[in-house]
Amino acid sequence: MKCLLIASESAEVLFHWTDPEYQQHIQEQYGASQEEGQGLPAFEDSISTLFAPIIISCSTMVDRLGDSYTSFTTENNHIYVLHQFDECLYIAVNGDGEEGEDDLRRKTYVMKKMIEVLFGMVTLSSYLLRRELRPQDTDQRARLWKHLQSLLETYSHLRENDQSFLVEAVERLIHPTLCEQCIEFLERRLVQQLNSSVERAGEEVLHAFILVHTKLLAFYSSRNASTLSTSDLLTLIIMAQNMYPSDVDHDDPAPEDVESTSGSGPESFYTPEPSPTDRDSSSSEEKPVRGSTPVFEFVDPDIQMAEDSLQTLEVPPPDPSTPHRVFLEVSLKEGLYPMMPHSMYCLPLWPGITLVLLTKVPTSAVAMSVYKFLEAFAKLEKRLSEGQEGSAATRGQPTIHDVRSKLDKFIKALGPSEIQSAQLQNVWTEFKNRAFARGGPGFNRDLIPWCKNMKTQLCGIYRQCFLIESGPTDIPRRLSPGLQERAQTMVQEKLMDWKDFLLVKSKRNITMVSYLEDFPGLIHFICVDRSTGQMIAPSLSITERATSELGKGPVAQFIKRKVWDLVSTTRHYLQKGYSTVTLRDGDFYFCYFLWFENETGFKLEAGDIPVLPDDSAPIGMLAWDYYSRKLLRYYSKNHQGEVVKCYELLTVHLGVIPTEIILQHCRQLASKLWEPSRNPLL
Amino acid sequence: LKWILRHTSSRCTYFFLYDGSKVKGEGDRTREGICYFYPEETPLDRQELLCGQLAGVGRCVSELSFSPVRILRLRRNKFAIRMKDDFFWALGCSVEVPIVSVCELLDQLIDLFCFYNGSVRQSYQLSSQEFLAARWARYLSHLQSGSSELHHIFSCLRTIDSTNVDPLLLLKAALILQACQRCPLVLAGCILFRGRVVSTQMCPELTMKVMVHESETYTKTPAAHCSSGPFGGAVSSVTVFLTLSELQYLQSAPVNKHLSSESTPQKETPRRKTRLSRTLSDMPSTDSDPSDRGSLQSPQLESFSPQLSDSSVFSPVPSHSATDPLHPPTQPLQPPFSNGKHSSEAEDEALEEPSYYHSFHSNGGDSQTDASVFEENCQVLNGGGDGGGDGGGDGGAACGTVFDFREAANDESHDGKEDGCRSAPEPPRPPHCGAFDDPEQSQLVPMTLYLHRVKGLVLALLVEPLFLSDTASMEEVYHSSLASLNGLEAHLRTVAPGAPGAPGPYVFAHFDHIQSTLTTNLSGGPGGAPERPFVRATSLLHSHFCNTETLQEAIIRSAGAAVYGTRSVAQETYFQQHGGSFRNSGIPNHQDSAFSLPGKARHRLLKHGVNLL
Repeated sequence: MKCLLIASESAEVLFHWTDPEYQQHIQEQYGASQEEGQGLPAFEDSISTLFAPIIISCSTMVDRLGDSYTSFTTENNHIYVLHQFDECLYIAVNGDGEEGEDDLRRKTYVMKKMIEVLFGMVTLSSYLLRRELRPQDTDQRARLWKHLQSLLETYSHLRENDQSFLVEAVERLIHPTLCEQCIEFLERRLVQQLNSSVERAGEEVLHAFILVHTKLLAFYSSRNASTLSTSDLLTLIIMAQNMYPSDVDHDDPAPEDVESTSGSGPESFYTPEPSPTDRDSSSSEEKPVRGSTPVFEFVDPDIQMAEDSLQTLEVPPPDPSTPHRVFLEVSLKEGLYPMMPHSMYCLPLWPGITLVLLTKVPTSAVAMSVYKFLEAFAKLEKRLSEGQEGSAATRGQPTIHDVRSKLDKFIKALGPSEIQSAQLQNVWTEFKNRAFARGGPGFNRDLIPWCKNMKTQLCGIYRQCFLIESGPTDIPRRLSPGLQERAQTMVQEKLMDWKDFLLVKSKRNITMVSYLEDFPGLIHFICVDRSTGQMIAPSLSITERATSELGKGPVAQFIKRKVWDLVSTTRHYLQKGYSTVTLRDGDFYFCYFLWFENETGFKLEAGDIPVLPDDSAPIGMLAWDYYSRKLLRYYSKNHQGEVVKCYELLTVHLGVIPTEIILQHCRQLASKLWEPSRNPLL
Repeated sequence: LKWILRHTSSRCTYFFLYDGSKVKGEGDRTREGICYFYPEETPLDRQELLCGQLAGVGRCVSELSFSPVRILRLRRNKFAIRMKDDFFWALGCSVEVPIVSVCELLDQLIDLFCFYNGSVRQSYQLSSQEFLAARWARYLSHLQSGSSELHHIFSCLRTIDSTNVDPLLLLKAALILQACQRCPLVLAGCILFRGRVVSTQMCPELTMKVMVHESETYTKTPAAHCSSGPFGGAVSSVTVFLTLSELQYLQSAPVNKHLSSESTPQKETPRRKTRLSRTLSDMPSTDSDPSDRGSLQSPQLESFSPQLSDSSVFSPVPSHSATDPLHPPTQPLQPPFSNGKHSSEAEDEALEEPSYYHSFHSNGGDSQTDASVFEENCQVLNGGGDGGGDGGGDGGAACGTVFDFREAANDESHDGKEDGCRSAPEPPRPPHCGAFDDPEQSQLVPMTLYLHRVKGLVLALLVEPLFLSDTASMEEVYHSSLASLNGLEAHLRTVAPGAPGAPGPYVFAHFDHIQSTLTTNLSGGPGGAPERPFVRATSLLHSHFCNTETLQEAIIRSAGAAVYGTRSVAQETYFQQHGGSFRNSGIPNHQDSAFSLPGKARHRLLKHGVNLL
């Protein structure tokens, strides 16, 4: 009984996912309210009709009370979590008791993260995002939604079964020698060879990594690449898992996933129209929408897009060598650029083992410019809406005149390309007339709609550049299929002898057996290095075929449940500012510690941890990096100039063990697990 | 009253009752449905916005999930919701208050209303909206009057500081109550002193309800309430409404309440024995009693049985053996305070299915109509007075009709109860969980609350309505207790008000679930900034304990404070050691002072009468 719905403020469904139980629930619901003799309407219509009053009430509350719903709980313990991201309302529902409020909120944030990775800065324009998430063409819409649904299901499966997705940190395969060899191989042989090949079509491999199931065997980043954030890496692992569901114990290998490999977002051709300045584009607005969804379509009259630039043409599913467009965070010396375009090549080596290549696309400089302009207009809009006017509104870096000249150059440079920039040009001209002309209105509130419009136009340019496949006349911009194949073969040859070992190792990376002697009474532990986003934990895979030391069946399931609960409990305390928690629960004793160290391993004094509201972003690293964005930033205030590292340890002990001993165990684990050698006790 | 509300508003931000049945048509305005809205000075359009949106979204969600909404959260507020028939209650609190406590508060509020007014629907049919609004306001302010922030977390009875009072006085109070029970028309009672409980025979929930009326009369001069009569102005009474489970609990003999180990079927316990233990004296019961009861066989009883008969074999239903041949009386009797969770679970399940029983109530509920005419009145004994001050016109009229009322009661509840008493002597679980114990759901039985005030001391008795006309009984109760009450009052008055525990090197809070009492050395007053960390941790831990049945103890530490919490079936204890250095790295360390808290708590709290061993 699970559901996730994304709706626009006008109650238009932008995406929905339901499990079979909830789908049936909705159909029964809707059937009950339908008159006799009428067949069941399309599922999308039912769900939209049933949720419409909630969605509309949400907007009313925001508009009139300045407050919004965050959750509902019914007496039979159905939970609804609501969160508004810009103009998109996310509603996650659970009716089977398997997910709590925190899980549902996390799910909405993860969904948003995946949409960002798939659509990049288009998500910054609600207007464009609405159209992107809900293509007019129903087949195309169905394909996109199916892809997103499958990603969401893959995520949910991993979150429920994989410890690294439970704590949202990457798990490495513990085999130092092999890891080192592989990294060297990726660096010296693979990446070098790829980047020196002429078949790379202007792309440059920045990162290469090998996944064994969800665990990382080797990761290499080229010298001029920025660090890949944990959040992005975890998302890419979900995408890779979704393409090649490698979990052998996964009951259904999801044959339909073949289709979902079709890539990021709609596969479509961009069809250039000869008359991009044609203002009479409203006709496409009035196209009847298929299905009788209640449409409360609201079109901002100020936003005039080149409508035909949004027309897309369907193509048959492309060949597997087509990369996936992903938008990842890039941190350069001059600053942080979110959602920069990359191509992701997922090359299966064997079932369960995948090579992933991330390349920089040749035109990515455009994305950086667009981002800078967007940022400038967003700042300006914010100041104007705060009531500042004139020079007060335009102060700061870069100066508005700087932006002006750069944007002029930018538009000029776009001119000769096939990108439709006339609409941007028009809006920009109008903006300049209003803002800069002598005797014109200048910088005041009236300019706000034009800031918005400029942002939308810029996002439109970005969309044309990075989201739509190049036209048929274009040379495909990607590593040639031959080159991809060579890369695949090279790594296969390298790992041939290790393949079976790796598959087993990934299931039993480290095992509790090795710890039993030193830590009697210890049942399980998880240790996370939040500064690098990596975790270590004894394997806890409980499946029909494989058993862990916990055995199989109810006891193992019970302990797994306890570990999952413990993580969610301690997150709740952490959210409220508690960094140490010990619990005596039934026959178990649980501990949780969070602490900081400097680079040399010196333990730093525990400081204040921010107290966050209940509906704040979930604590973790996948959807939103709490540890670096909130915790370390907050903590580093008192440790300026110092590198601060953050660690977490969770342990489960038998309750009969004296607390004193338990705490000693914890201390030993904490100091030994992350010794400089990075080798856990083995 | 408003003054009080405004100054305790930290707990409750909004409270409203909205009647959806009044806003059905297109043209109906939302304001028609607003029965009560707090804060009352809220602009009407904002009231309409909140009521309309929350009730609307609540209905939509309930329809989607086939179940009423219980909790509704906004970014800056959280609401406990109750939906019943067309009524929609919402109680909003700031986000710091644990949601379990908000839900509890709302249940208490509705229970309180029903206790003094009977069913909500009927109340609104019979009384004016303004009159009932004043009542909601009063109950709300009463429930919010807890002095410290801890009272926002635990809803507890305010008791006299027993460590400060001679135990003999407490024994004396208990004896007074037992003596009153010699009169068969007296169900149970409690003794209150200056708004605090000295001794009670009722479950905490019921005592809490009784105290509302007491505190109300305490603030007014008794003369305004009652005219002189044989008992002077010291005695007053008011009609109250008990739920079936409350009534069953009260009617079960005290011996059963406390001897849970008794395994012999109590059916066979001779009546006399029961009487003995009730009074702690060897006085035999008067002969007239049994015959009296025998003559009062009631057909009304059947209206109770359908709701329970098919619910569960385990639910302690008085009417089973008497009226339902399908359920032989040999069915297992649950021990009182049911040791196993069996019966309580079963009972919860039974009560969890409101929809099935709803129809029975709407049909069978008519029986209350006559009775409820009299519900508002603060009755003046001996009929001479001119009604309760706040009862307005109703009050005066009621005095004259007191006898009709009594006769009506004879036919209904009185007999039902007596019958129940005999056929199934084992008491039901005390009505602890308000969430399921919906007063609207179950039958409400009119009873009378009798108050005898001696200055700051009040004897409050729940009595059969018949009691008011039984002059002999009344005189007996009055005169037998008068001297003792005077004596008790004189003693209690001299007891120095327990100075708030000196702020020691530690703070603690100890909550007793069975008695609903809170012991703490927290000074309480507003602006207790140094205590904030303790209260915050306690609030989190309490929620955690409520949600995780298996959790026994916890230590949580932030940069500023380490707090230890432990709980058993009957109690929750929270402890924080002041001072000491909490300078640490947060890395696990067994020498860390936080982990010595359990030992310190055990040691330190012994002298407060808290045993954690």
